[in-house]
Amino acid sequence: MLMMDVETAPRRVAPDDVLIAIDQVSKTYVSASGAVVHALSRISLDIKPGEFVCVVGPSGCGKSTLLRLLAGLDSYSEGRLLLDGEKVAGPSRKVGVVFQAANLLPWMTVRDNVGLPLRVGGKHAPAGDRIERLLTVTGLGDFGDKFPYELSGGMQQRAGICRALARDPEILLMDEPFGALDALTRERLNLELQRIWQENRKTILLITHSISEAIFLADRVVVMSARPGRILADLHVPIPRPRTFDDIVLHPDYARLAKEVRGLLNAQEHGHD
Amino acid sequence: MTDLANIAVSAMSQTPTKPRRRVSLGSPIAWIGLAVLILSWIAAVNLLNIPSYILPKPEAVVRALWSGLAVSPASPLGYYLPLWSTLSNAAAGCAIGVGLGLVIGSLMAEVEAIERLVMPYAFALQSLPKVAIAPLIVIWFGFGDGSKIAISALLSFFPVLINSFTGLRAVEPERIDLMRSLSASRFETYRIVKLPNAAPFIFAGLDMAVVYALLGAIVAEFLGAQRGMGVVITQAQAVSDVAGVFAALVILGVLGIVLHGIVRWCEAKVVHWGANRKK
Repeated sequence: MLMMDVETAPRRVAPDDVLIAIDQVSKTYVSASGAVVHALSRISLDIKPGEFVCVVGPSGCGKSTLLRLLAGLDSYSEGRLLLDGEKVAGPSRKVGVVFQAANLLPWMTVRDNVGLPLRVGGKHAPAGDRIERLLTVTGLGDFGDKFPYELSGGMQQRAGICRALARDPEILLMDEPFGALDALTRERLNLELQRIWQENRKTILLITHSISEAIFLADRVVVMSARPGRILADLHVPIPRPRTFDDIVLHPDYARLAKEVRGLLNAQEHGHD
Repeated sequence: MTDLANIAVSAMSQTPTKPRRRVSLGSPIAWIGLAVLILSWIAAVNLLNIPSYILPKPEAVVRALWSGLAVSPASPLGYYLPLWSTLSNAAAGCAIGVGLGLVIGSLMAEVEAIERLVMPYAFALQSLPKVAIAPLIVIWFGFGDGSKIAISALLSFFPVLINSFTGLRAVEPERIDLMRSLSASRFETYRIVKLPNAAPFIFAGLDMAVVYALLGAIVAEFLGAQRGMGVVITQAQAVSDVAGVFAALVILGVLGIVLHGIVRWCEAKVVHWGANRKK
């Protein structure tokens, strides 16, 4: 009995331990039209602290659903979901979420948007100069007093990332964060995200439908099937860091991985035609 | 770091700075329309020989206006005392109606049980011509300021109720997700996300409410009062002083435009993110 308590009690994880444990998780819901939708089917995935995992899959495969489950925004039907050994039962302070299209509040300055997590949800830790440092590090130092509509799409998403980092969470969940940006801005932000990750080693789960983005950023690329979402492959990316877009395309592993992921996704598309 | 700053600056320079919304004095076309209206009025009374008890001459209206305006503010013959009486009653009623509309609209938007409880009655009352209730309110509140305030409050309540309810419900689900992901309390979500989001809706309701409040006060004064612009109109009507009626209507018209302008000005100050909010 005592052993059990020790086993299930929340604990600090060792570096090689598992931070995010997804165990046979399924998600079924009834749509507005009354149809039963199997969004996820028995997904299992373990993510270690400090790992950068990208999830790719066809549109509507449930990859965003998976992220919402981890963020505690939706409930799951079956299985077990553990963050740092604790069962997910709602939004956690250990998690920062980066939404599609920045999702900044237009009536607040960039500084207020980024500092929002420190002003809501109880337990207000003193921010110190944390917000200013985050703004400076992401190149937004001079834009704290601007309003979101005065910023370009790329800058807005930088602010979105800053906001997710405001509480210094262990885990960053990113839902197609750069999907709405042009290709060049996207590459710049990929580079910057890599740098931020290398500097503070958050555990990142990033959803994308860009194969090149996934391979560029990830330690592991997880490929999901069309609905009901299953995991088709979990591919290690052995390309050394820091990576650049110029170098990575020349790396033999890049071509191999891109081909493999594309093959898996194409098989999905054709299976559904 | 320097190339980061460069990216930031280049990204910034690509962003067009959108002009802020301004309160304008109306388009030139509106002013031309006014000029045409007054000219055809002058032409009509002079060429068609319309009797002055039906349509007074513009100069008679101007004279009536002048005699009402060019007096001491304390003069019983001027517009200032009745205008103050009507305005203060309308303002008090408007404040009550807007306050109640905002509170009940918020409760309806936040608590589904309250929505189900209040909504049917709100719609039933909304479709009732509320001016028809005015005689009843005069019975309840008497001929003093009370009935004026009550009718103004009743008329200004509904547009704010419906608009704040609609606006608070019209919030983007992603913004609610954001607040949920931060474990924000219900009141934090209301204050930080829903209320600013509903502000343009609420101001549209407020715009209607100020005009309705004025309407309510005047209608109440028609039913019986010692002072107010409604009394000025009925007294002029009693002695067939049509120019006097016209002059009072001009005052009320200008007042309506000024009130509308004030609401729009406040909206531009508060909802400063303006047309870019859908981004």
